Amino acid sequence: MMFLAILFAFSVCFLLILIRLIAGKTTYDRILAANSIGTIVVLAISIHGFYMGRPEFIDISIVYALINFIGTVAVLKLFDKGKLGDK
Amino acid sequence: MNNLILKVCTKVLFTPIILFGLYVQFHGDFGPGGGFQAGVIVAAAFILYAMVFGVDKCKIIMPSKLNFFLLVLGAFLYGFVGVVGLILGEPYLSYDLLGSNKQSGQHIGILLVEFGVGLTVCNVMICLFYSFANFKFGRNKND
Repeated sequence: MMFLAILFAFSVCFLLILIRLIAGKTTYDRILAANSIGTIVVLAISIHGFYMGRPEFIDISIVYALINFIGTVAVLKLFDKGKLGDK
Repeated sequence: MNNLILKVCTKVLFTPIILFGLYVQFHGDFGPGGGFQAGVIVAAAFILYAMVFGVDKCKIIMPSKLNFFLLVLGAFLYGFVGVVGLILGEPYLSYDLLGSNKQSGQHIGILLVEFGVGLTVCNVMICLFYSFANFKFGRNKND
């Protein structure tokens, strides 16, 4: 029951971030919103895993957090420098 | 990129990412995971390093020659385990005769094949990043 309430709260947060993502004024607002959606998804995967009785889902959420971080760094660097290679 | 926070984060995160990749690799029999996922996770560590410190710095710790060698070695390991089964008089990629009994043979076979897959996937990802990293994107086409 508690896990369900947390999942419901996450979905409300998700909708609020989605509004920010669609109505975002600058590109950086949108990147930040996408990053926040990633964080919400990481938490939701963990909570859903415990709710369904499969705590192994934490592995998947760690991978998701990692890819989320690297993806955000890559997008920011691409907008900053124009290419990913140089320093 | 000259961001101190990002550099320190990358240096701190580099080893745990590879450790987590190895965990996914060798824990794949019991939980979610396996060779493909582990390869991508280990490659993600190198790609993060290359993005933050530059491809030239990353080519010091993972030179292109070593990259190609490991790429071919992984595929070779996969094929070799299959051919060993063929030589011992079983179908291709059958693991039964690799160990002393059937169960340990299958254990050894799956471990080796998954390790080959992981090695190949990891190095293909790094190779792709090396190839496309200096590809110019969009807005500053003129210089």
